[in-house]
Amino acid sequence: MNDAILKVTDLKKHFSQGKGVMSFLQKQTIPAVDGVSFEVNSQETLGLVGESGCGKTTTGKLILKLSQPTSGSIVYDGIDIVPMTNRNFRPMRSKIQMIFQDLDAALNPKMRIGQILSETIKIHHKELDDSAVNTRMYELLEMVNLKKNKLSNFPSELSGGEKRRVGIARTLSVNPKFIVADEPTSALDVSIQAQVINLMVDLQKQLGLSYLFITHDLRLMELVSHRVAVMYLGRIVEIGGAKQVAKHPHHPYTEILWSSLHVKQSKTIVKAPKLANTAAWDVFDFSSEDQGCRFAPRCPIFAEKGQPDQCKQQAPTLKSCGEGHQVACHFPL
Amino acid sequence: MSTSPLLKIENLRTYFYSRAKQAFIRSVDGVDLEVNKGDTLGIVGESGSGKSVTMLSIMGLIAARPGIISGEVWYQGEKRINLLDGLKDHLNVTEENGRVMGIEKEDAQWQRRLEANMEGIRGKEIAMIFQNPKSAMNPFFTIGHQIVENIIKHTPYKAREEAKDRALYWLDRVKIDSPKLRFFNHPYGLSGGMCQRAMIAMALSSEAKLLIADEPTTGLDATIQSRIADLLEELREQTGVTIVIISHDMGVIGRLSNKIAVMYGGRVMESGPSAAVIDHSDGKSHPYTEALLKSIPKEDNLSTQGHLNSIDGEVLDTINVPKGCRFATRCQRINKSIEERCKSEEPPLADVSTGHKIRCWLYAD
Repeated sequence: MNDAILKVTDLKKHFSQGKGVMSFLQKQTIPAVDGVSFEVNSQETLGLVGESGCGKTTTGKLILKLSQPTSGSIVYDGIDIVPMTNRNFRPMRSKIQMIFQDLDAALNPKMRIGQILSETIKIHHKELDDSAVNTRMYELLEMVNLKKNKLSNFPSELSGGEKRRVGIARTLSVNPKFIVADEPTSALDVSIQAQVINLMVDLQKQLGLSYLFITHDLRLMELVSHRVAVMYLGRIVEIGGAKQVAKHPHHPYTEILWSSLHVKQSKTIVKAPKLANTAAWDVFDFSSEDQGCRFAPRCPIFAEKGQPDQCKQQAPTLKSCGEGHQVACHFPL
Repeated sequence: MSTSPLLKIENLRTYFYSRAKQAFIRSVDGVDLEVNKGDTLGIVGESGSGKSVTMLSIMGLIAARPGIISGEVWYQGEKRINLLDGLKDHLNVTEENGRVMGIEKEDAQWQRRLEANMEGIRGKEIAMIFQNPKSAMNPFFTIGHQIVENIIKHTPYKAREEAKDRALYWLDRVKIDSPKLRFFNHPYGLSGGMCQRAMIAMALSSEAKLLIADEPTTGLDATIQSRIADLLEELREQTGVTIVIISHDMGVIGRLSNKIAVMYGGRVMESGPSAAVIDHSDGKSHPYTEALLKSIPKEDNLSTQGHLNSIDGEVLDTINVPKGCRFATRCQRINKSIEERCKSEEPPLADVSTGHKIRCWLYAD
C-alpha cells in the first residue's frame, strides 16, 4: 500500500448559531463535522458521499484551510496544517487545490479566461515572464482539451462543460498534488459529465494526482473512486473499498442509499425498502441531545430491535468488518 | 374513450433573437408530439435541446420575443381546442429556402389573443411543476396561502375555510409530515424535497388533467429523488392524471414513463414506447439515444481504461443549424455509405415499428 498523502484525524467543526429571540444569549452549536478521520493515499481517489447537509463540503473546506477547524488534525505530507497560520500555509496552497462546485460563482465574470488563468500562474510563479506564462497557459489548455481561441472569452460565453475545464485548468496551473473536487459534475449533462470525468481520470494517471471526490451521485462515485467514505450528519458511518461498500454494505444507511439507486436503475419497478420512520426522513435535527447513534431515528434496525438502549446512549465508533472496510454501527448488517 | 390524444403538438417552433449574434436561436424547431390520456410521456435530451421551452410554449409562458412563431397545440378538454389559435394573424414570418429571415410580431395583440386562449386551461386543465421549486414559489407568502389561492381560482371550493381544508388534504396526499404546521411555512423554511412536494401539491390541487413536470428530481439527493419518483407514480395510479415529465436523467424517465421522446437541437429525434426506446425491444435505436444511454455511469458502460463513454463535442448550437442531420457531427454510427446524405439532407421522423419513430437515415427506408 502507498503512503498516505493526507491523514485526517478526529476533525471537528462546530458552527454556532443564535437560537430564538434572545439569540445573543442562547447559542446553539451545530456539529457540521464531528470527529471525522480518514486517509487518502497517494494517487488514490477517495469518494466522500452523503446527503446534502451532512458536512461533505465543510470537510473539503477544512482540508484547504478555507475554514478553521474546531479541533483535530490534518496532516498533509507529514506536516500538520491545522496550527499553521495562513501566511505559513500559503506556500502549501499550491500543493492542495480545490475544484469548486459552482463555477458561475468561482470564475470572475468580468475577467477573460486568459486573465483568469494567467493570474493564478503569476501569483504562484513570480519568477516567470510573460512569454513563459503564456507557454504554461497553452500547456494547460492542451491538458484539458480546450481551444486556444476561448482565452479571449468571458466565462458567461462558455458552456457548462467548457467552464468546468477552465476550472480544472486553473486548479492545475499551480501543479497541485492533492485536489478536493466538490461536486465537479453536478450541473452537467450525462454526456458532458462523462467527458469531464474521463479528463479527471486521465489527469490523475498523467500527473499522479490524489483526489478527494465529493459528490452525492452514487453511481459516479462507485466507478471513479478507489475507496468510499459515507457520511451521515457529520460523521463517517462506513469507509472501505468502493466495490465492497457498494456491493456489500454493512451500515443500514449505506444500504438504504444504494438501494434507492437500484430501484431507480431497474427497468421493472421494485418497491423501495420500507423505512422505519418516513416522516423523519426529510428533517435533520441537530438540537436533540448529542448522544447515541445519529441515524437511529431513521434506522430500520433500530425499530426492528425494539429501540435498544445501546443505540440511544452510545455513539458507535468505526470498527473493522473486513479488509480495509470499517463500519460505525452497533448492529452491522 | 375518445380516439384523439389529450394533447397533440404539431410543428411547434419557438425562436429567440440573440442581439449579440444578430441571429435567431432556434430553440424549438418543428416539434411534433402526442400525449394520450393516462400516459406518462418522458422527454429526454441534453440541456439546450429545447425540452423545457417546448413545455413552456404549451403553457404560454414564453416571455422573450419573438417566442412561438408557428405551430398548433390541440388540447382535448371538454371540446378540442387549439391553444395557439389565431396567433398567426399577428405574426409575419419571412422565410427563404426554409430558413427564417425575419419575424414581425404585433406583440400586444398576440399576447392578448394567447391569454384569451389560455383562459381556463393554464393551471386548471394543464398544471406545471417547475424545475426549481424554491424560486417558482413566492417567497413572501406561506405555501398554504399559495395553494389556497390556486384552489379558490380553479376549483369549486370558493370559500376560504373550505379551500384550506382542501389544501391540507393535498399536503397530506403528497406526504408532507404534519401538514397543519407546514401550511404556515414559507418556501425558504422547507427543505428541497419538501418544497418539491409542496409544489406537486399545488399543481395537483387544481385537479388538472395534464401535469407537466420539468426536471422534478434534479438537485435533490438520491434518497429524496427516489421518494419523489415514488410519489409521482403513486399519484398517477390514484388520480389517473396524465403526466409529461422532462428530465436529462434516463434513470428517472425510464422508471416513470411508458412513452419516451428524445430531443436534440430543438427537434424530436426518436419517440415511442419506453420498451422500444430504452430496451431496444425492436432492435432499432437512434445513435443519439444510444450514446445517451451509454454515457450513464454504470459498470457495463465502463471501458478498459476506466473511462466512461462520452459523446464528443458540445450540444448543437441552435443558431447555425446544419443543413443535414443535426446530430451528424457527433454521431458515432455515421458511415461512408450514408455520410453524404447525413450532411446534406435532414432525415424525416420515420416509423420503424408500431408507434416507434426514429429520425435517422439508417432507418429511413
